Amino acid sequence: MIRRLQYLYHMSLKFELPVHEHHFKLRCFPSTDARQKIFNEHIEIYPVHFRSTEKDSFGNTCVYGTANQTHDHFSVDVEGEADIDINKKLTDEEYKTGIFKYETPLTKAGTTIRKFHLELESASLFANNFERAFYMMNMLYDDFSYVQGVTGISTTAEEAFDLRRGVCQDYAHILLAMCRLERIPCRYIAGMIPGEGATHAWTEIYNEGEWRMLDPTHNRECDDTYIKISSGRDAKDCSINQGVFYGGGRQTQEIKVKVSEL
Amino acid sequence: MLADGLYKHADSVNELLARYGVKFGIYKNGEFKEQLFPFDIIPRVISAEDFNFLERGLKQRVKALNEFIRDIYSKRQIIKDKVIAEEFIYSGSGYLVQCDGVTPPKNIYAHISGIDLVQGKNKNWYILEDNLRIPSGASYPMIARDLCRKGVPEMFEENRIEDNRNYAELLRKTMEYVNTGGLSVILTPGRFNAAYFEHSYLAEQTGAHLVTCDDLTVENENLYFIDYSGKKEKVGAVYRRISDEYLDPVNFYRESLIGIPHIFDIYRKGNVALINAPGNGVADDKGIYYFVPAMIKYYLGEEPILQNAPTYLPYYEDDMKYVLENFDKLVLKDVAEAGGYGVVFANKLSKQEKENFITLLKSEPRRFIAQEVIDFLDLDIYEDGQPVPRKADLRAFVLMADEPVVWKSGLTRFSRNPDSFIVNSSQGGGFKDTWVLKSK
Amino acid sequence: MFLSIENSDRLLWLGRYSERVYTGLRSFAEKFDSITDSADYESKYDFVKNFCFDEKNPSSIRSSLLRAYDNAIVLRDEIGSETFSYVQLALYEINKAEKSKTLMLNLLKVIDNIVAFWGMADDRIQDEHARGLIKLGKRIERVDLYARMNASDEDIKREISRLTYRITKTGLRYNSDNLEKLKALANEEKINHSEVISAVENLIELNS
Repeated sequence: MIRRLQYLYHMSLKFELPVHEHHFKLRCFPSTDARQKIFNEHIEIYPVHFRSTEKDSFGNTCVYGTANQTHDHFSVDVEGEADIDINKKLTDEEYKTGIFKYETPLTKAGTTIRKFHLELESASLFANNFERAFYMMNMLYDDFSYVQGVTGISTTAEEAFDLRRGVCQDYAHILLAMCRLERIPCRYIAGMIPGEGATHAWTEIYNEGEWRMLDPTHNRECDDTYIKISSGRDAKDCSINQGVFYGGGRQTQEIKVKVSEL
Repeated sequence: MLADGLYKHADSVNELLARYGVKFGIYKNGEFKEQLFPFDIIPRVISAEDFNFLERGLKQRVKALNEFIRDIYSKRQIIKDKVIAEEFIYSGSGYLVQCDGVTPPKNIYAHISGIDLVQGKNKNWYILEDNLRIPSGASYPMIARDLCRKGVPEMFEENRIEDNRNYAELLRKTMEYVNTGGLSVILTPGRFNAAYFEHSYLAEQTGAHLVTCDDLTVENENLYFIDYSGKKEKVGAVYRRISDEYLDPVNFYRESLIGIPHIFDIYRKGNVALINAPGNGVADDKGIYYFVPAMIKYYLGEEPILQNAPTYLPYYEDDMKYVLENFDKLVLKDVAEAGGYGVVFANKLSKQEKENFITLLKSEPRRFIAQEVIDFLDLDIYEDGQPVPRKADLRAFVLMADEPVVWKSGLTRFSRNPDSFIVNSSQGGGFKDTWVLKSK
Repeated sequence: MFLSIENSDRLLWLGRYSERVYTGLRSFAEKFDSITDSADYESKYDFVKNFCFDEKNPSSIRSSLLRAYDNAIVLRDEIGSETFSYVQLALYEINKAEKSKTLMLNLLKVIDNIVAFWGMADDRIQDEHARGLIKLGKRIERVDLYARMNASDEDIKREISRLTYRITKTGLRYNSDNLEKLKALANEEKINHSEVISAVENLIELNS
């Protein structure tokens, strides 16, 4: 069974003061992999003087380029269709997963997460990484509330867990931090789910040769309605935009996502 | 071999060094200062036979390290074969994920390596450290040689010494070999960098242009130098003396005020050579050092010619046991520190300090390596006209083009403090020329 | 040879500051002579300190020399270590002069080194444009300083003529209105100092 989804992704930056020599590197384009096939893709970036496409080290599609001329508004629009086949496996050899086993600054467990982790049931009770991670996800879900506006993009797992409140990025980071305490290879996924709103974030857990997706915000394994945009060790590796420019003052970013079934 | 009374000439050579501004920069209390790099006129002399041995060992080591970096950023075979503990790669600060899957021009990562060695009283040479990011220091013996030949020509009359002033030529070849078409430039972070003298001197001597980030721009997948009239000239090789994280704000540290946006993107596409390759830090981490002998066997199928100083990784249980049992006679090094910082001689600690350190070691075993203290062969330096023995090391330079070439000289650094093992210029050390004798 | 905008600017300023040191020291020598007969040691001392050595006084000889050094040190690959060394030596000499009992003799060595620097620059810098920029800086500064110091009309006229000769040789972009104005000012019977200063300060448009 293949599910076909249509997606629209919009990101815009408004600058208080005009900017020039704006160099950007965008990472907001779903790529085709074993699980999802992307087609009828259309990308619009404005303004742009030069642009080029590449894959980063995680295999994420990036578009980098320059907008030389003065502008106070910058936008990216991506639309396309995705065929998702949940029965297709995302496989990897174990020795290649090492990079995902160790903490990063955003997924470093501090005393609060460590304490929580110590009180969990012993890892030996679980048959494999997936079941273990699934259990940790359940425990996290029970002890954490979805609240917007209390955390930001640079909030660490430990900081969010201290608050016991946060958004999808925080759920994902905390689950990753706990998995990494046990050296379970796991990664951060930025993506989209059906409906209108912002982007979503979840995790992938390496289990017996394949990557399986867990969505700790919804406390469930992901189904075929999840479109992956990018993956990495944490949210920083999945940054939507890394840009530099001259001028600008304050900037406001707006992201709108719409995913619907065809 | 050397005339007595050499010290009489020491002042004139130092005067010449001052005249040409042979300095290094240092920050003291937040203020930038230029200091003369104290020069001692007695050279370190290495016989042709000794150097031949070092040369073979250094080439072997650098070849293996280059293979290692390539492997880590591509197939990761050495991890698959469990020759090296992956934790030392992925939880160290030297590994740069951005470099994974990137192939540099001609597959060269370690274009210029600075390998630090010491000679023990038993005359054995030991490797202390590999520097594969931006090793500095070659300019000092190079200009010192030139000035000694001018100031004290009689030093050279009876000695058949390899001329070390070919360093510029070696460096030029190294840049040209990987150049993807266009100019070769030396990129400096600017005048307030500790090694600015070296940047400007190497530019002058190689004829490569000395540039700052503002002089370079990426356009249409190529790197260009912009001249005063606005004309653009393609750049094919950048010997950058600026560290990885500041190189490109859209790919690394985004708050970097210097840096050239997109230079890493076009490097990834093979349109420019970066010397040394970004990401090399994965191989010169103090923890990785432990594994270099194993790497030589693994990649080259050869026995290591040069020895490491006996090193223990508290990360491994057996090593931790040894370290705790022999704590007092060991030197401990923080793997994240450089420049002579983070080095602790256990016998110099008070009882309380020792207890604290052991607690720290047990809680963060990955953070430290422990080494036997090597009984250095001291070198004489002149102090108030008298020769006195001081600790010294040797930084050998290996330049890689189609084959690695070991520069027939090196930077000999010494500690001016008789009780100190720390030879770094940032901590008040001085330098000597290194003479390699020609074979008879 | 490829020269960046920044380094073009520095070469010009290297020329200007070296000239400021040179002409400054020559005018100091005259003033020093005129106060030699006075017995007011304190005011003499203050004058010497302020004019020559005070780093806080932006127009002291030391300040000008430090600015020349700041530019020279980042131009090593353009001008060469040999040429650079004379700026470095001049700086060592002024430091020695401050502690010296034979002040004028030491200051003469500063002048020696500046003159040697110019000679070496002229002889050793292969790139015509780079060489020309140092010379042009020197000529601009000379006119500027003479006008500020109320030098004789004859001297100013001569220096303007040397400058206008030099500027057309460099191939550098300059403001032709100001050049014509400068030429016209030199032809007037009485030199208008402030007009000369304003014309010469706005002669070069490096960054446009």
